[in-house]
Amino acid sequence: MSFILQEIIKIILYGTLVTLFVSVNALFLIWLERRVSARIQLRRGPIHVGWQGSLQTVADAIKLLTKELVLPKESDKFLYMMAPLIVFAPIVAAFLILPLGPHFVMRDLNIGFLFVFSLTNISFIGIFIAGWASNNKYALLGSMRAVAQNISYEIPLLLSTMGVVMAAQTMKMSELVAAQEKTWFIATQPLAFLIFFCASLAEANRAPFDIPEAESELVAGFHTEYSGMRFALFFLGEYTAIFISSAIAATLFLGGWRSPVPGLPAGSLAGPFWLLLKTYGIVFVVMWVRWTFPRLRSDQLMNFAWKVLIPFAILNVFVTALVIQCQKFFA
Amino acid sequence: MPVLEKDITSWLREVVKPEEFNEKNLKTSGVLFEAVVAQNKIREVAREFLAQDYFLESLTAVDFAECLEVVYHFNRWSEPSRSCVKILVPKNDGKPEDGRWTAPSISSIYKSAAWFEREIFEFFGIIFTDHPNLKRLLLPESSVIFPLLKSFKGEPAGSDVTQSLKLMKEDTEGFQILYPQQVTEQATKHKRDYYLNLGPQHPSTHGVLRVLLHLDGERVIDAEPIIGYSHRHHEKMMEIQTYVACWPNMGRLDYVGAMSYNFGYAVLVEKAMGVTPPPRVEYIRVLTTELNRLASHLLWAGTFLMDLGAFTPFFYCFDDRENILDILEMTTGERLTYDYFRFGGLDKDIHPDMIPAIKKFIPEFKKHLKDYDGLVTKNIIFKKRTRNLGILSKEAAISYGVTGPSLRASGVPFDLRRAEPYSIYPELDFNIPTRSEGDVYSRYWVRMKEMEESLKIIAQVIEKMPAGEVTLGKLPKNVPKGEYYSAVESTRGLFGMYLISDGSLNPYRLKLRTPSFSNLNSIIHMLPGCLISDVVAVLGSIDIVLPEIDR
Repeated sequence: MSFILQEIIKIILYGTLVTLFVSVNALFLIWLERRVSARIQLRRGPIHVGWQGSLQTVADAIKLLTKELVLPKESDKFLYMMAPLIVFAPIVAAFLILPLGPHFVMRDLNIGFLFVFSLTNISFIGIFIAGWASNNKYALLGSMRAVAQNISYEIPLLLSTMGVVMAAQTMKMSELVAAQEKTWFIATQPLAFLIFFCASLAEANRAPFDIPEAESELVAGFHTEYSGMRFALFFLGEYTAIFISSAIAATLFLGGWRSPVPGLPAGSLAGPFWLLLKTYGIVFVVMWVRWTFPRLRSDQLMNFAWKVLIPFAILNVFVTALVIQCQKFFA
Repeated sequence: MPVLEKDITSWLREVVKPEEFNEKNLKTSGVLFEAVVAQNKIREVAREFLAQDYFLESLTAVDFAECLEVVYHFNRWSEPSRSCVKILVPKNDGKPEDGRWTAPSISSIYKSAAWFEREIFEFFGIIFTDHPNLKRLLLPESSVIFPLLKSFKGEPAGSDVTQSLKLMKEDTEGFQILYPQQVTEQATKHKRDYYLNLGPQHPSTHGVLRVLLHLDGERVIDAEPIIGYSHRHHEKMMEIQTYVACWPNMGRLDYVGAMSYNFGYAVLVEKAMGVTPPPRVEYIRVLTTELNRLASHLLWAGTFLMDLGAFTPFFYCFDDRENILDILEMTTGERLTYDYFRFGGLDKDIHPDMIPAIKKFIPEFKKHLKDYDGLVTKNIIFKKRTRNLGILSKEAAISYGVTGPSLRASGVPFDLRRAEPYSIYPELDFNIPTRSEGDVYSRYWVRMKEMEESLKIIAQVIEKMPAGEVTLGKLPKNVPKGEYYSAVESTRGLFGMYLISDGSLNPYRLKLRTPSFSNLNSIIHMLPGCLISDVVAVLGSIDIVLPEIDR
């Protein structure tokens, strides 16, 4: 009985922490995005609300909370209201398996990151529902693109992680970090990292792969009709998804919570610090890419996945397998 | 059809036998000759002009007391050879509502005529027989007025509020009214194809333009641009104003490249009055116009790249554009809708700080142009998105009456600054960038190169600029009786003005031939087969400004 009680308390505590973190993290990322884009674009970005404009996103969040929730006249009302939740909830659940330190992980599942990817796929169903239920042509086109894109990029994303899994002989997140004690996987699997990075950009609908919400073509894509907090949930989901995929990339390829310089502490509090640092580093690159490149066209996007990323990902799996077998043979 | 290697003038005289034929001086009236032909011969004439590589520059009508004149202006890129052909539509004491004023349509020969004829239909009530789609173009479909007729005395049907609300309602339901077949098709048959209204509220239509797309999935089957949302009827406005009062209208046609429109009006009226401005004036005019051309191309580059999903170049372009606007503001006091030129002169001399500011600006901007090259032109995604897309062949471009950079990207080196030189352009050294592919990339390339050429012109003008007066003093308030045509190379193409003066204080008829009007129509040719992402790229590449199209 006490075990169940303990678990319930743990779940409530962890859930509260994650929800808090997700909101604060999204606010921070949006602020960061604005400042980074401003820096790249010869602007100054938000500077007036709070120190260096740090409270600007809080003000925006308050604005979004107080805005009217518009319900389009001919939409499918139930699905329309459900869609933001379906998009947002699975992404948050992915925090369950993220190892923040040596013994700091909620559930160290043996299927590890596969669990995250299966969850984030649910959110694409949410995107499709959003586009369908809005009864808007732009939204429908956007969600059609989103589904096509997701199906295509899921394959290179998972194939690229196969190399890492084969090298570490595990899918458990904690053991994957442990396997990188000497060298990070980015050194032994650079191609896999590149493919993973491209595919996760596409999975998170980020430029240059942001075709489901291409502003200049589809107005706002699948969330054209959404307003207020429902829109904010999509926004929150997008930024959390970027954070999650960057955090997984940091765990799989950049040594997770380990310190980048040997000798520095990687203990209970330093672990989360290093992981966050690496994650935000990757997030910064994601933003940098967004503000530099034009957008691809949907057919070019598919070509890139099927004709470039997938063949190279398969090649990577083969080469890794060959190297492992050779090592075993000569050892 | 074999191309007749015969002079079009002698062909007209011998074969068509016009009712009236006047040789004219290109320098003073803007046309080589003027011929009045019989109505039933106009198609034959148009076919012959097309066979000889002429494009339809302008098509309009004039309301005279006893009859209506439909005026065709044809022009050719190889040499200055603007020709004016007219047909007469007798009034027979009728009214436009009777539907008895008819003329043959040439829209099957010249694609650009389709919109011109629709415009004449709605302003004058002339019905063009065999026009495939003769409905109102700029006014609401439900309006019942023919505003350019001299018998029209204001009081449009939309002047009181309830009536205009009714009109607006009808216009929003316009899709059902205008396209009943498509509506029933969409409602009854569950097919893969459907209709999408791109605009009038859409981030990439650059103003209030609606493009009705017929889609199969994401692929465009056909497209129809629908315009008129910002129509203010400048032509009617100018008929009831004095010549001087027309100046502000010029800044409000194409607000992005307003200086060229000032130039066009100045050249027209000076041609009609037979005066030549002092040399310093010409230099300052070219200087400000080329600076404005740079600003306009920069705005285009920024918004076009934003359509392609690249946000950052937009801010770089706008940063440079701000510098240019600051420089122009010193002298003109305006940043957008310039009203700086005067007949035979300028509003005032340039500000003493202007030349040093330009000298500082030129090297900076040259460096920035290189940055754009590195950031955009050499970017592989950009190349993949724009190459072999929205191809406009030379023949199609001529048939659609496309002018300006979009025409030069299709392999026709037609630039009025060289083809029919005005002002001091013959004395300046600059090239005309031309490409032969006719795709979106080449239209981008031509405009980027044109910026370099404009910089060259600006540098030369600063060096050579003489001192002197900037005005001719008092000029008469009216223009001598007669017909005049003049055209200048605006940022977007050929800006022509056709003036009929009866010697009074205001123009009898002033037709504005704006370049984007014809350029926009050519998307009907370019869009089929594209994806939705390409639609915005093609639309962006032809560089339209809606107030100039709607006038």
